[in-house]
Amino acid sequence: MKFGNLVIAGLVTGSIYAVFAVCVAVWYRVSNILNLAVGDFAMVGALGVDNLYRVKGLPLPVAIITTLAVVAVFAYAYDRVVLRIAQDGPRRMEGIVVTFFFTFALSFFIDGVAKMLFGTDVHAAPALWNGESLTWASLHFERAGLLVLACAIIIGGAFWVYIRYTLGGKALEACGENAVGARIAGIDTRRYRWLIFMGTAVIAAIFGIVESPITGYTYLSGATISLTGFLAAAYGGFRKPGRALVAGLFIGILEALLGGYVNAEYGDTILYALLAAAVLAWPRGLGFESAVSG
Amino acid sequence: MSPAEEGRSGAGANGAGAVRAGADGAGRTGVSGRAALNVSNLSVAYGNVVAVHDATFTVAEGDACAITGPNGNGKSSILMGVTGMVRRRGAVEIFGTPAPNGDVRWAARNGLTLVPERRQLYPELTAIDNILLGCYCWTRSIGKARKSAPFGRAIDLFPELKPHLKQLAGTLSGGQQQMVAIARGLASDPKILAVDEPCLGLAEAVARRVYDVLASIHEQGTTLIIVEEAPKRALTLCNRRVEVRNGVAGAA
Repeated sequence: MKFGNLVIAGLVTGSIYAVFAVCVAVWYRVSNILNLAVGDFAMVGALGVDNLYRVKGLPLPVAIITTLAVVAVFAYAYDRVVLRIAQDGPRRMEGIVVTFFFTFALSFFIDGVAKMLFGTDVHAAPALWNGESLTWASLHFERAGLLVLACAIIIGGAFWVYIRYTLGGKALEACGENAVGARIAGIDTRRYRWLIFMGTAVIAAIFGIVESPITGYTYLSGATISLTGFLAAAYGGFRKPGRALVAGLFIGILEALLGGYVNAEYGDTILYALLAAAVLAWPRGLGFESAVSG
Repeated sequence: MSPAEEGRSGAGANGAGAVRAGADGAGRTGVSGRAALNVSNLSVAYGNVVAVHDATFTVAEGDACAITGPNGNGKSSILMGVTGMVRRRGAVEIFGTPAPNGDVRWAARNGLTLVPERRQLYPELTAIDNILLGCYCWTRSIGKARKSAPFGRAIDLFPELKPHLKQLAGTLSGGQQQMVAIARGLASDPKILAVDEPCLGLAEAVARRVYDVLASIHEQGTTLIIVEEAPKRALTLCNRRVEVRNGVAGAA
């Protein structure tokens, strides 16, 4: 049952890619801005809960709610102040490079504050579902891993259903497709931008709390997490949350299988070579073209 | 500085970019005579560039009103200002109710919808989703939107779109895209439909088809405002004309 266990391990890693890919893709769909800071919100979620619960001694639910509230308020304020000046002002800033810079700066800012508040050690939020790993027909399921997988499926699935089957979701897509056209239809593009920015920040924070018992976070973990999310989001052309979700899971499984069967040491190298080859072979099919041409 | 004065100084600075528009508010009226749209002293400026200066005109219910004039004289800016797509000075009333400045959704909910220049579709959404989003101004329920009369009417008006409804809007031809844009406008259930350059870049036969559709929309009781650079085609359909010309008050 080595194969089965590898697939399970891959699914858990993959769901980490997947959730951040979905967050990146959904917000890009709304605003045409890549959010590099998404992983930092996850880090703040995990370390914030750890700090409030372990160091400050607050009860766990209070610690979680406080942390999420802080993340939400901060994301809202960031949109109202920085993005509002950048995008809604008389001198509107456009182009992927400029807007990229804003979230890049945000990422560094959060890292700096986190270093002051939480220190430089590896910490993690307490495990939410304690106990031994579950075993079924010689397959082993880590409880934390199952939580991560469930979270990924719920979050990704919810976004997919929202965008595909609701008018609000289609309006969300319209914002990123053509902001002028969206306003003509009576869609409030700014409201969508801050709602989704805040929503994805909170989702990232929740996911950081659930996931951190597996890997452990430091104040610098955010950038790594963002990048793994970017990789999977790129396979959805940065636009299709459903595809980003599947891509994230697939990359995770592929990574685990390559590590388990081919070579543990060079598994990642082979993985990225394969992924690069796939992009070169089917740029359009994988959505890269739409990501580049807009 | 009053809006009028500011407009004038801007006009002086920008020469050909500036416009004064006017029309015969009390002139020929439409079927019922009730004012559908009442615009007084409308000015629109982009930064220092004044695009529309002190436009005053009335469109009666049932009218088909053409806004004509040379390129770059502020015709589109009038529609942008009236619908709230850009900030304006001056007053706009839709069926007697003053329209809040810059609120497109309010205008759409109260019966004034814009079919914009260059269509402004969502290229990576399907044609049918583009049209459905026209319903967004009055509902959030996709089921209600799909079953609604305005949506059905918008779809039925363009039988030639039927085979292309599942296609991405960006892959449609220019004529088909224009039809999707008009259908999206109709899905919002407008009492006044403002169409900006509906035939821009279209072949003659397609342009004629677009005007046939506009005529049938007008016959069904929708008040039309059509912006056209060349008045010839527009005037086959329209009973009124507002001439927008650089510095010339244009009742025509």
